[in-house]
Amino acid sequence: MAVAVGRTYHAPASLDEAIALLAELGNDAGVVAGGTDLVVAARGGRRQLPTALVAIHRLSELATIEGSPFGGLALGALVTHADLERSDLVRRRWTALADAAALVGSPATRHVGTLGGNLCNASPAMESGAPLLVYDASVELRSASGTRGLPLADFLLGPARTALAPGELLTGVTVPPQPAGRVGSAYLRLDYRASMEIAVVGAAVLVALDADGRCTEARIALTAVAPTVVRAADAETALRGQLPTTERVAAAAARAAAAARPIDDVRATARYRTAMVPVIVRRAIEAALKRAEEEAA
Amino acid sequence: MRYPLTLTVNDVPYELVVDPGHSLLDALRTDLGLTGTKEGCDDSECGACMVLLDGRPVNSCSYLALQAAGRRISTVEGLVRDNQPSALQRAFLEEGGVQCGFCTPGMLMSATALLAANPSPSEGEIRAALAGNLCRCTGYQKIVSAVAQAAQEMARPTPG
Amino acid sequence: MSRVLGRRFVRADGLPKVTGQARYAADLVLPGMLHAAFLHAGVPRARIRRLDVSAARALPGVLAVLTQDDVPFVRFGAAVEDRTLFAHEVVRFEGEILAAVAALTPELADRACRLIEVELEALPPVLDPEAALAPGAPLVHEDWQDYSANDGIVRDGNDCGFVNIVKGDIEAGFAAADEIVEGRYVADMSHPVPIEPHAVLAQWEGDRVTVWSTTQTPFPARNGLTRTLELPESAVRVVVPHLGGGFGGKCEFHFEAHVAALARAARRPVRLVFDRRQEFTATDMARHGIIATFRTGVRRDGTIVAHEASLILDTGAYATHGPVITEIATMMAAGPYRHPNMLVEGRTVYSNRTPAGSTRAPSGPQVCWALEQHVDAIAERLGLDKLEFRLRNIVAEGDEGPTGQRFEKIGARESLLEAARLIGWGRPLPPGDGMGLAVGWWFSAPGPAGCYIKLNADGSATVVTGAQENGSGSVMGLALLAAEELGLAPERISLVYQDTDAGAFDSGSSGSQTTFNVGRAVLAASAQIRDRLLRMAADELEANPLDLELVEGVVRAKDAPGRSVVIAALARRAQDDGELITGQGNPPAPKMPDSLGGSCAGRVAFPAFAAPAFFAHAARVRVDRETGVVRVLEVAAGHEFGRVLNPIGVEGQVEGGIVHGLGIALSEGTVFRDGNQANPHLLDYKLQTAADVPAMKIAFVDAPAADGGPYGSKGVGEPPVVPTAAAVANAIAAATGVRVRHLPMTPVRVWAALAGEDA
Ligand SMILES: Cc1cc2nc3c(=O)[nH]c(=O)nc-3n(C[C@H](O)[C@H](O)[C@H](O)COP(=O)(O)OP(=O)(O)OC[C@H]3O[C@@H](n4cnc5c(N)ncnc54)[C@H](O)[C@@H]3O)c2cc1C
Ligand code: FES
Ligand code: FES
Repeated sequence: MAVAVGRTYHAPASLDEAIALLAELGNDAGVVAGGTDLVVAARGGRRQLPTALVAIHRLSELATIEGSPFGGLALGALVTHADLERSDLVRRRWTALADAAALVGSPATRHVGTLGGNLCNASPAMESGAPLLVYDASVELRSASGTRGLPLADFLLGPARTALAPGELLTGVTVPPQPAGRVGSAYLRLDYRASMEIAVVGAAVLVALDADGRCTEARIALTAVAPTVVRAADAETALRGQLPTTERVAAAAARAAAAARPIDDVRATARYRTAMVPVIVRRAIEAALKRAEEEAA
Repeated sequence: MRYPLTLTVNDVPYELVVDPGHSLLDALRTDLGLTGTKEGCDDSECGACMVLLDGRPVNSCSYLALQAAGRRISTVEGLVRDNQPSALQRAFLEEGGVQCGFCTPGMLMSATALLAANPSPSEGEIRAALAGNLCRCTGYQKIVSAVAQAAQEMARPTPG
Repeated sequence: MSRVLGRRFVRADGLPKVTGQARYAADLVLPGMLHAAFLHAGVPRARIRRLDVSAARALPGVLAVLTQDDVPFVRFGAAVEDRTLFAHEVVRFEGEILAAVAALTPELADRACRLIEVELEALPPVLDPEAALAPGAPLVHEDWQDYSANDGIVRDGNDCGFVNIVKGDIEAGFAAADEIVEGRYVADMSHPVPIEPHAVLAQWEGDRVTVWSTTQTPFPARNGLTRTLELPESAVRVVVPHLGGGFGGKCEFHFEAHVAALARAARRPVRLVFDRRQEFTATDMARHGIIATFRTGVRRDGTIVAHEASLILDTGAYATHGPVITEIATMMAAGPYRHPNMLVEGRTVYSNRTPAGSTRAPSGPQVCWALEQHVDAIAERLGLDKLEFRLRNIVAEGDEGPTGQRFEKIGARESLLEAARLIGWGRPLPPGDGMGLAVGWWFSAPGPAGCYIKLNADGSATVVTGAQENGSGSVMGLALLAAEELGLAPERISLVYQDTDAGAFDSGSSGSQTTFNVGRAVLAASAQIRDRLLRMAADELEANPLDLELVEGVVRAKDAPGRSVVIAALARRAQDDGELITGQGNPPAPKMPDSLGGSCAGRVAFPAFAAPAFFAHAARVRVDRETGVVRVLEVAAGHEFGRVLNPIGVEGQVEGGIVHGLGIALSEGTVFRDGNQANPHLLDYKLQTAADVPAMKIAFVDAPAADGGPYGSKGVGEPPVVPTAAAVANAIAAATGVRVRHLPMTPVRVWAALAGEDA
């Protein structure tokens, strides 16, 4: 007869209960939110399901999108891509994140897949990472021993590797207010098909313009061209303080390639990825600039 | 460990006992014998397994059955009401949206969710809503027109 | 042709399919049923040092474990008998089956597979088909000479099927040419990808086994079973429940014998259900990777005077239908053009890849893609418009085909003009856009077919055939033919099909043959019933049968419709009088066109193209020059199918074919790493989605064939997939000025071509 596998399942009803469970189950515990990474990987035989499944889908307190009084943003870990895509607040102020959410998978993936899952899965091709990097977002991690915040850049360590400690749950993402001036942000992905794609190259850009149209701030992050999503510092420097002329934008975009350390895989050659970085970054800068300029009107 | 679970599918509650890793698809097909929902891939790409969870589409192949506890599950078997195929089902038949039929249950569920949320979708919206459902037979054209047709039909005021 | 045909109708299997009632093979469950799993080799080429299944056999809950040692040693194969059910001594592709297990649950069956101890000595895989043809190259089949093969197949080492066409005097042709244009094109292997994976369920009762299978070809599947398990045909019944698409991938004989042998050993019903990875790596009907080279001589006025082509088809580890497909490919390499002088050679080359076989229009899209790009290149060299160049060379009534067949009235030219008209050929386009055209042809497959029709006492009728419904609607459409002949509503006709115990032999849903052949059998069987009804009605109405007609459920006088008798009443009366009204049809197959034959080698199945269909597609694309991403904005199609009997069905075939063709063009290709497929899943083997599909316009051209199917119709299922990739390729070239010579034309390849490289 089939030997019963010793896997256990827990569906805490509150955050406190979840934290207590994670502490108790220790290293055996594995969180499942929407399962669109975890369960899919298990089905495809790439990964085993954790021995103790802690399903957090019932923690409705983690499904909130809130603007903070000073213009920041607080997102719960269980916010789905569909929530982001449809939130007026996100679409209006945090446009790159809305762009990214709208690109994820199919309607079903977006309904089920969560922001927390996207970040904790730590794929270099994650869609929400680059936008959150340009928003200087931090993650909030909670465990039985307390709560800590960590800049997103420090949270993501490599493919499928994060700074999550055993017993820790990612509860949310906090985003500080945006820089002063007219701000525009955009996320762009190179897509082979019209939908259902995984990023081959993606870029998020935030720009802030002063009254003269000069870039007072420029932040650029890349998807799928390095072990994690990364900021492209050289490109940012090339734009900051400058009037974003066509030439300067192109030059900045070209410098983004410095941040890319792509690999060859079945989706693309490293050469192609490297060549695409300036193209996608340039287009993302242009899209962000356009939005910033529209802010004036 | 195995866990008791009540699944409410098409308004009927079912009691079953499952492993934690059991997918909603396996529960529907194997435990409940509701084989209208299909399985076509192992990476959540084909959409043959699409069902609705509280009215929204999910790929049941990669959704844990236990996570569906206490929620409203709708499958293709529930689309017929009072022995009458729904407007959407009729439109699939009349427009030629069905060939081999293997993608059809998933297509119908995605389209049902779409029409509930957006009763008069544009062609582009229909295509986007069906992007997670692969069809190898039809080239999608007749499926898209069936959804548009059903939307029109449903918008018509019903007599009485 | 009037009352029923040519109108839109709802297919009989539609309602069960939209309600979820339709059962497919993987849906079937029998009491006591076990679950099968296969242990696949996982490496492309190896010698088997050790295979020990004892631990797997010992696992509680495992009821059978089989290897080649447990089944008769029988070599089989569609064209060359080069394979065995399980790997024997060597492994020739990653999906090769080493062992099969039947256990209480799928999980146990998988665990048992992992307990099997295997020692494989890896050998360097043969992956380059050109190198494999070189003298002294390592042989994929060292014993190839010992294999038996169908008569006439020309084999040599790794080439398991050499085929050629020799016509006219090629040297004289080149000597007369003003320009000579050369080109080389490479297509990667791709896959048919039905959304339903393979599944088989087998149950024994005494010495008889019933096998429910996802096969497109129940009778060839039965033949495979009877041959490999050494059973009489009467002991095997193959039934297809509903089939979730095939596209050739479910043709022939696959895993029915493995499952039947497991069920016999376990003394329980056993069910096998493939996952998508197995679907990609372990089935044996991939679309061939092809290398095509052309050299064509033309006169300045655009006349083709010499055409030389060499094709190499990578058949993978086993021949399957390979040699026959190479033969088709040589006809495709000629194309629907007038060629006074021609030399086409095709080779079917073994490699250590997943076997290729009879996928929808095997070789068609790839060879058409290569040839039609070459044709565009010729037009460019001559400075001629591409439509104009094609019109100057395209075949018409009275012309001679590649192997000497004389064309009757055909719609090649008209199809081309329709496609060009629908796309607006020559109109100005925005920058970045380009338009391309491609033409092609495809055969109908005359063959044996039988049909039996029973008129029921209530005036409804039941059609019994051996035909297989793969989703295309061709079997459903048989109801239309019977309805037309019998004067009944199509809804009054029920169908019994895809069951080897019910209908007579049928070659299955391959080669677009169902309507073409079975349709004629339905007409013949209907005619017998019709004659009987006419005679009975003539007695009753005191009329001459010739003055009567069957319409809308009655037999009536043509000139006095009021004088009529209800068919149901005739049927009831006959039955009460002890007569059952039945009809049976097994008409002779239409004759093959005459052909040269003699000067050509290796022509086994297709000396010529019978009742050929002609077609043209035109595409408009937008190319993102920076990224190489191509979006297809419009596709227009002109098709001549002889005559269109069921427009909604045929449109569905064309639309589905176009979108399948777009996938072949842009996104569907296998990527191999050291002989293993690196993208055996749908995320990285990309089908087109609903969001990718462009606007499609379709026109049909009428040209009923004398030696055609019912009412002069021709095969419909395969042609639509043939020319789309070619039209897209030519559109890309028009948009960018560069040719992409590698299929699929992925963004990386388009980008590389724009950068002057060949990716
Ligand atoms: C068809 C398909 C298409 C997709 N397309 C895209 C795409 O375009 N872009 C993209 O970025 N992604 C894509 N994905 C991946 C996936 O949908 C997203 O990453 C999604 O956001 C994951 O969320 P989830 O809730 O489903 O995660 P889960 O699968 O539940 O979890 C993923 C990982 O995160 C951990 N985890 C989840 N939540 C927490 C938490 N709060 N605290 C600690 N650990 C946690 C889990 O333990 C697991 O390791 C796609 C997936 C599929 C199946
Ligand atoms: S079975 Fe393919 S997406 Fe679920
Ligand atoms: S109808 Fe066959 S896959 Fe859609």
